[in-house]
This record gives sequence, structure tokens and C-alpha cells, in this order.
Amino acid sequence: MTFRNTNRTWGSLTKALHWIIVILIINQWWIAERAEGLKGMEKLQALSWHKSFGMTILMLAVIRLVWRWMNPVPDLTAETKPWERILAKVSHVLLYALIFAMPLTGWMMSSARNFPVSWFKLFQFPDLVAPADETFRRMNDLHHLLFSVLVVVALLHAAGALKHHFIDRNDVLKRMLPFGRVK
Amino acid sequence: MNSMTNYIVSMTAAVALLTGACHAADTPAAKPAATPAAKPAAASAPATAAPAQRWVQGPGSSLTFTFDQAGAASKGTFKQFSTELVYDEKSAASGSLNVKIQIASIDTQDQERNDMLATSDLFDTPKFPTAQYTASTFSKTAAGGLEAVGKLTLRGVTHDLRLPLKIVTTATGLELSGATAIKRLDYGVGQGDWKSTEGVADEVKVQYKVALVKAK
Repeated sequence: MTFRNTNRTWGSLTKALHWIIVILIINQWWIAERAEGLKGMEKLQALSWHKSFGMTILMLAVIRLVWRWMNPVPDLTAETKPWERILAKVSHVLLYALIFAMPLTGWMMSSARNFPVSWFKLFQFPDLVAPADETFRRMNDLHHLLFSVLVVVALLHAAGALKHHFIDRNDVLKRMLPFGRVK
Repeated sequence: MNSMTNYIVSMTAAVALLTGACHAADTPAAKPAATPAAKPAAASAPATAAPAQRWVQGPGSSLTFTFDQAGAASKGTFKQFSTELVYDEKSAASGSLNVKIQIASIDTQDQERNDMLATSDLFDTPKFPTAQYTASTFSKTAAGGLEAVGKLTLRGVTHDLRLPLKIVTTATGLELSGATAIKRLDYGVGQGDWKSTEGVADEVKVQYKVALVKAK
């Protein structure tokens, strides 16, 4: 397994970033779901974890995008049909956009309610917008809407990967798996 | 909550391992500004025994506080408070300061938090609607500044508190400004869950800037 991507497969850093972000997103959903039912101190703490992990995702997203630009991107197989290529491209662009948009709208929600964001209590991020109820409501709606979009696109993305693996029987899924070996 | 905390702690550890991140365990807490031992003000009695001027709060005054919440500093303000100052530049030590704060006027720019601050676990505003600062002497600090030597009563608890005072002349009168830090738990602001400093730090910084006009 190489550290950098090749024309045939993803490198270990790309794989690590992909799967860590997947785990963090599921974790984010889990914390947010529970925080809804909490009050006072417990809610404050749960949401501060949600924010710290969210900012982690944002930082990893930056690294991921930069790394993608610095590396070859393995192509889909020759048999992949044009409509599949378009669907793959659109969902990849959306997923990249969402791993930026989710943390950014969450960050704006925090600023708009004057609950600034710290990263695991180690340092504090500056506020993006001035506190205002209206801004908070808009960003809150957007954050929830984008999450629904993320769920749909992520499921499509996973379905595509499974189709490549089980129906087309190619290496597209295997080359992103942590210990997947590609011939 | 414990299972939630455990889950999150293990999750953090897992992510830290995965990413190979290595953070310091904790940030050092900001230390409260040390109050230098005050020297008695130099006896410089005025030549004439004119009574010291009384000043009252005018428009354009602010009383803000900065609190650390889950590792992030947030600001809030008390919108209603009144100040009375007796001050004579020539005999500053004979000054006095009285500040009365309407706790219900607290604003942290979030209604849910404002409401929570009024509950019995925090300010218990219905029971303790005002806070009071009273100082009947001023003294010179080692650094040459002026400070009020007084007491703060907050949530029914009284403690000694020295307030640094910077007093300058303005077009409309005087401007008194300064900043201090208090520990909220000394005054019982934080019962139950809020006694813990995990979510909200004990130390709260307070900044004041008061425009004063001559009392009639």
C-alpha cells in the first residue's frame, strides 16, 4: 500500500482521511441526536463535543482536498458507462462540498447564538457572523437540510461502490478499503 | 450522561489514535490578575475642605463580562445598572463607589441561555434581583493606579473585592473604567450541575466603563 495515490489505487493517506471522516460524520449524527433531548450543562457539553468533532472534519476536509490536488486520481474502469461517470462525478463533488458546508454552517450557528467554537478546549475559533436570532434560524435550517442531502448522497455513493463490487466485479470499492489489495 | 461522556471520551481517544494526533492534556487556566498589595494612599489632604463631588451614571455606560464556556470565551452584559461615585482628584482616597446591578437585565445574546441564567441553579434572579458593589475608600495600588476597596454582594453572598479604577475627565464629566475577575462559585452562581467547572469556568472576567455626570 502506497502513501500517495497512484493511477490504479488510492494511497493510505487518502484512505485514512476518507474513513476517519465517515466515522466522524456518523459520530456527529449520534451526538446531535442525543443532544436534542438534553438540557443545560449536559446539552452544552454534548454540543461542545459536536463542535470539536465538526471542526476536526473541516480541517480534515481541507487536508483531503489539498491532497487530492497533489495526487493522481485513479480513474473508473473502462467499462463504466457515461451516465455512471456523471453520477459519480456529481456525487463526489457534492460530498466534498458537504464536508465543508456542514461544519461551516454549524460554525455560523454557534457564532450567531454567541456560543463560540472551541476545539477540544485547546483553542477557540473566531466568530464568523455577529450574534442574531435570524442568522441562527437560517443556518440551523440549512445545517439540517444539508444533513438530509448528505445522507441521500452518501447512500447513493455507497450504493455505487457496492454495485462496482458485486455487480460489475471491479476494484473500485476494493481500492478504497483500508486493507484492500488491488492487482 | 455518563455513558455519553464515556462514549465521547473513547471516541476522542480513537480519533486521536487514528489521526496520530497528540494534544496536550489541558490548557493552562488563565490566572486571575494578581492584585498587588495596596499601599495606603499618600496623605494629600486638600488645602480647602470643599466636599468631594458626587457623580452619577450617565448614558453610554457598559458592564460586560467574559465567561469561558466549554473552552470558548463568550461575552455577556448587564443592560441595567446604576453607579454613584464620590470622587475628588485631589484626595482620591476619600472617594466612594456604589454600583447596583439589575440581574434580570443580563443579556448573553441567546434567550435560552438568558432564561437559564435566571434559574435557581445560577443567578436565582427572582430571589436575588440585584447585585451590589459598595466601596467607601479608594487606595493607590503599587503600580500607581487607583482602586476601590469594597465588597460585592451577588446572589446573597458578600465578598471583599478591589476594583481597579481608571478615572478620566471627558467632555460630559468623568469616565470610570477598569476590569477585574471574580470566581462565580465564590458567590454560589452555579449550583447542581453548574458547580462543575467543566462546562463553564469558575473565573469570570468583568469589564466596566461608566460615563458619569455631576449629580444635581
